[in-house]
Amino acid sequence: MDREILDRFRDGDESAVKTVYERFRGPVFAISLSVLHDHGLAADATQQTFIKAWQAATTYDPDRELAPWIYAIARRTAIDLYRKHSRSVASEDVDSTSLPPALDTIWEIFEVRAALDRLPEEERQVMKLSHFAGLTHVEIAEHMGIPVGTVKSRSHRAHQRLLDMLRHVGET
Amino acid sequence: MSEERADYLATASGNPPDRERLDLIRGILGHEATWSEPPPEVADHLFAAIATAPTVVTQTPQRRRWPLAAAAILGVAAVAILVAGMLGVFSNPNEQLVAIEGTELEPGASGRAWIREADAGWWVRIDLEALPAAAEGTYYEGWFWNDDGEGVSIGTFHLRGGDEEVILWSGVDPADYPAVWVTLEDEDGDPSASDRVVMWGRPDES
Repeated sequence: MDREILDRFRDGDESAVKTVYERFRGPVFAISLSVLHDHGLAADATQQTFIKAWQAATTYDPDRELAPWIYAIARRTAIDLYRKHSRSVASEDVDSTSLPPALDTIWEIFEVRAALDRLPEEERQVMKLSHFAGLTHVEIAEHMGIPVGTVKSRSHRAHQRLLDMLRHVGET
Repeated sequence: MSEERADYLATASGNPPDRERLDLIRGILGHEATWSEPPPEVADHLFAAIATAPTVVTQTPQRRRWPLAAAAILGVAAVAILVAGMLGVFSNPNEQLVAIEGTELEPGASGRAWIREADAGWWVRIDLEALPAAAEGTYYEGWFWNDDGEGVSIGTFHLRGGDEEVILWSGVDPADYPAVWVTLEDEDGDPSASDRVVMWGRPDES
């Protein structure tokens, strides 16, 4: 992100806060939903995350990357909300599938979503139709109204870009 | 092997770490959360909060004097005064974060108060947990309190709407009134603080 935007964000500039929100709303919501398994709670966590980030903006050092700073606030906020919500429901209603993911998984989700948001839209759409919707290349081509060869080339480029952007993910 | 799988593996060019990394990425790409977007209302509420936070005034501060006898009784009573201190990731010189805990009247309650200096005074946001809604005919009141037994109201709330985030406002410097109190009040027109202190905290203890 542009250094000027980071400086203005630290200074509490509202337009800079909006830019930061647009950049990180997807990754923040993704990890919030992964932790909370509820769209309403994830929306609350996302809103609280960015309010806290705005309130603490003067403590942010623009010489450091913004993503880890935002991530730390988002993770803490989602887990706090998870614990608060867990206390308000009967213990028998909380099964193992609703437990939050491990911390390294939360981070990986944040990074993957951030990388997806940086893909060209046509490649991002192919990734979504392939991996989330489970369509074949032929089905994607029919859905998007493009040749199968174009789907293949976009898929290949998207995978390569994701791999390049996420080489640090999964390292121990 | 499907053509998609062959194409997918070709990207990794036979490099085992890359294949493992792609498998990890692929797993994450298959989840709904990865592709979800927050509803538009999140942005609306966020920017409304930013735009209005420094200018919101919820109540004109009024000085109250706590009867010394009552203060002594309160001090002797089994008030569950728990240690409060600075919490959280942030260290903003213009912002304090105070942990507040329930007294013996509400032992399960807890919360955090963010106090931020603004042009018109001090903006106070309190996030509460497990404090029940005030019954009809009653309400909660926030206070800044000093060691001389003097308290200044920072606003009232009831929590009957379900929202546990409360925005209050102070015209006095919290450095001069370092304790944060929440009392339960009756709707009887009496402006002085009741002796029902349900939550308490101060930032200078650790």
